[in-house]
Amino acid sequence: MNAFLFLYHPPEGPPLTRQQMAEVMPVWMAWMKSLDERGHLRHAGNPLARSGKIVRGKPQTVTDGPFAEAKDVINGYTLIQASDLAQAAELAKGCPMLDGGGSVEVRSIAPM
Amino acid sequence: MSEFVYLYRGGEERTSSPQEMQQIMQRWMDWLQGLAGQGHIKDKGNPLERGGKIVRGQQKTVSDGPFAEAKDLVGGYTLVEAKDIDQAAELSKGCPIFDAGGYVEVRPVMKM
Repeated sequence: MNAFLFLYHPPEGPPLTRQQMAEVMPVWMAWMKSLDERGHLRHAGNPLARSGKIVRGKPQTVTDGPFAEAKDVINGYTLIQASDLAQAAELAKGCPMLDGGGSVEVRSIAPM
Repeated sequence: MSEFVYLYRGGEERTSSPQEMQQIMQRWMDWLQGLAGQGHIKDKGNPLERGGKIVRGQQKTVSDGPFAEAKDLVGGYTLVEAKDIDQAAELSKGCPIFDAGGYVEVRPVMKM
């Protein structure tokens, strides 16, 4: 088994409200559970708040997002194990965010 | 202490010699070890291969890429602990990615 990372890209538009989030949470939990039961969940990972800082340059400057205008916002990640990239992509099809128009970026973990 | 994720983005794709690669890797290890020594590492995370798949939308179509532009491509992540986002941003300034022209996106982990 090899390790892969799911990076979750939300659909365009405003982030979910607290109530919407409360509604989708059980669906996410069920998906995580099903990945785990099939032996594919290495680490559930974390959801990320739609805020943050960008640190860039030398010497470094720190700026606030803004993440609204970023085309490739990531709002969470999960560490998966699968036999290969194709199987990892197949597993990603169960992600609840796809139905709302989001996408999952599936990436291979590089050997250290 | 709160949790934050560093998303390492961009950085030139250089064809480095194995020796250079080893030096770069060593600098990452030294940096992460320094943070760990100060109690700021929750999960050192993983570097990512450049290749991957995107699974998109209700149709769940799988494609090779397209990814973010190279300058925004996520090349790895680390889960850190800091007292607030300003400290998390400050701690990221030692990251070797700045030498390669990349940047660090610092994101709060959403408390569920």
